[in-house]
Amino acid sequence: MAGAAVGEFALEGHWASESEGQGHAVFDAEGIRCARCAASIRTGLAALPGVTGTEINVVNGRVSVNWESATVSLGAILRTVASLGFRPVPLAGDAAAAARRDERRASMKRIGLAGLGSMQVMMYAAGLYTGAFQGIDPQVAEFLKLTCLLIATPVLLYSGAPILRGALHDLRRRTLGMDVTVSLALVLAYAASAYNTLRGAGEVYFDSVTMFIFFLLLGRWFEMKGRHQAASVTDALARALPATASRLVDASGTVETVPLAQVRVGERLRVGSGQVIPVDGRVLSAVAVVDEALVTGESIPQRRVGGEALLGGSINAGAALELEVTAAPHQSTLHALVRMLEHAQSQRPRLGLAAERMASWFIVRILLLTAAVGIAWLFIEPSRAFPAVLAVLVATCPCALSLATPVAIAAATSRLARLGVLVTRADAIEGLAHVDTVLLDKTGTLTSGSARMLGVRTRGAIDAPTALAIAAALEEFSRHPLAAAFLPHARDGMRCADALEVAGQGIEGSVMGQRWRIGSVAFAAGLAPAGSLPPQALAADLANVTVALGDESGLQASFCVTDELRADAKATVRRLRDLGLDLRLASGDRHAPVAQVARELGLSGFEAQLRPEGKLDLLRSLQRDGHRVLMIGDGINDGPVLAAADVSMAMGNGSSIAHAASDLVLLRETLGALPVAIGVARRALTIVRQNLRWAAFYNLAAIPLAALGLMPPWVAAIGMSLSSLIVVMNARRINRVDPAAPESVHPLPVGAHA
Amino acid sequence: MTSIYLLIPLSIGLVAIAVWAFFWAVNHGQFEDLDEPARSVLEED
Repeated sequence: MAGAAVGEFALEGHWASESEGQGHAVFDAEGIRCARCAASIRTGLAALPGVTGTEINVVNGRVSVNWESATVSLGAILRTVASLGFRPVPLAGDAAAAARRDERRASMKRIGLAGLGSMQVMMYAAGLYTGAFQGIDPQVAEFLKLTCLLIATPVLLYSGAPILRGALHDLRRRTLGMDVTVSLALVLAYAASAYNTLRGAGEVYFDSVTMFIFFLLLGRWFEMKGRHQAASVTDALARALPATASRLVDASGTVETVPLAQVRVGERLRVGSGQVIPVDGRVLSAVAVVDEALVTGESIPQRRVGGEALLGGSINAGAALELEVTAAPHQSTLHALVRMLEHAQSQRPRLGLAAERMASWFIVRILLLTAAVGIAWLFIEPSRAFPAVLAVLVATCPCALSLATPVAIAAATSRLARLGVLVTRADAIEGLAHVDTVLLDKTGTLTSGSARMLGVRTRGAIDAPTALAIAAALEEFSRHPLAAAFLPHARDGMRCADALEVAGQGIEGSVMGQRWRIGSVAFAAGLAPAGSLPPQALAADLANVTVALGDESGLQASFCVTDELRADAKATVRRLRDLGLDLRLASGDRHAPVAQVARELGLSGFEAQLRPEGKLDLLRSLQRDGHRVLMIGDGINDGPVLAAADVSMAMGNGSSIAHAASDLVLLRETLGALPVAIGVARRALTIVRQNLRWAAFYNLAAIPLAALGLMPPWVAAIGMSLSSLIVVMNARRINRVDPAAPESVHPLPVGAHA
Repeated sequence: MTSIYLLIPLSIGLVAIAVWAFFWAVNHGQFEDLDEPARSVLEED
């Protein structure tokens, strides 16, 4: 079994990577059910020389391993996992989907058999109970008990197999898991009932056995569904890329079909109309229309002109286009996203760790308590010792306790993914729920980052259209976001051949046989001899950005460019404030435009002309005052500030998503999802608390009842199962769409077969 | 009361058939997608 799995791995490529002697892989391990399973894999792998780190997520059964390739191989790691009793399965490929399907089908069959069997057994048991009161022919009673035995046997051996196997694994590893106490109860009850049936005297507990198995499986079923749903979000992304690409062989337009893995940077590809763009690249055609819904969730097709970036995984919604590959297939944005998600899903949140420790601490105490109860009853009334021991074992199973946190976190993560908010760090949800202050960046966050030309002033030597055309010819070479405002004004035949960008200043180049400079006022005036023209003569409206154009005789024109607020910025700010959050604006821009934005949004706290260190100081001082700060920035320029914040969110735009060093990534170019996300996080935390309180209450209340013999085993079975079901169902409430929050954003296309 | 010796084996037989039918349905993917087939009858080709 393990050998086959390792063989499949060799075919896959993107789930494991090796560089500079360090290997990293993420895979699913079938059979992970509890904290104990995770602990046994962790200790098993830690014992292997060369393994440098292991992270395991109990909820989705995902394992992430780092190792030194010189000392240990991936094959050895996978064999170790397999020898511990877990089947490693590659991620996000067809094999993973097929494995999930098989797991789903097997559980369905187990539940079906247990359900039908327990209904039958309960019917016969009802006959036996009535018979006990009204009198029953002993021969008929014996016949009914034999029938129960006949049905309970396949239910225990087939439906209960995963539980029994889990317990065997635990015992072999000399650890104690939840499966041990559950199996102990099942086997004791079944063996005593079978023995009593065959000798023709004494109590039988077949109804409790079958019912307990049925309810346990039902609880695990819902837990498994949540796990599969979370995995299918990642799968939908990973499966978006085609297996082949059409490569342009020569200038005449001949194409050949090659496997995607063979595509190299710099090569040219053709993408037909309606086809998926296989890699990140630059448009070579004049114009292209792409649908990036899958990658960014943006539902409106986007226009891209020649030279602009295309995202792998988006769909060519226009005519056939040609592109130049800018990133190798395994380094594309989409793969980076998938890896980021997988990593986040394999991390264990702080919140979960506490509950796991509590559950394993609990199991040892339960076994000691059970023994004590059994011995006590042997002295008081030996005939009641056995049912009391069974009841304690069943009622105290800490299933609900260990499920309480992970199910809620998993539900919140997949809910956020559908909102277009990617969780890239496991603790992000807890952090988001605790936030009380939001620090916002201006450009690219509150504003769209796409500039608009407001007006032109010239000195009269050239007219406005000509000034714009010259500026456009120069700005074509700029990477500054404001440059986009000039491009529509470009004129054919007016080009610049020798443009040179001076970082942070502007661009210099010749157009129509003359030297020009465009950029900051001081820079543009620099071509002319000093003092020839006062720069402020052309200074424009202070609330907006001024770009100046100058030649060797001085400043010739100035352009007033604005960066507009996002359409939903105002509504978002209002809703964030309704959530009780304190909002601060921190920008590197000049005072006037920042004040303008703050005024428009009704923000009282703002700081302008902040360098990154200034933002960091502001953040630190807020944190010193005891605030929990959420920082929202564009993910690249704000890197250190994002890293220092309690929780950080990056605005994902295009290929920068992959580089964002933040806890959360807003995939869509809208802010609307932010207040909803905070609401979801808060609700998730409330639900975690409810779940933990409920589970602790149930276990504490059930123990004395069971120990005193007031709770028959079948009541204990129902109580235990109901408490787990309540915990799982409670967590699923997070997925329910909140009617109060308008769902203005489109869902990520998650596979329908969740 | 002798009828019970006929009826109970009969009920076991019925359960066996139900279990077999359910296993067949699961193995043939009848529960894989519970939403789409209902919608697909309404869609035009």
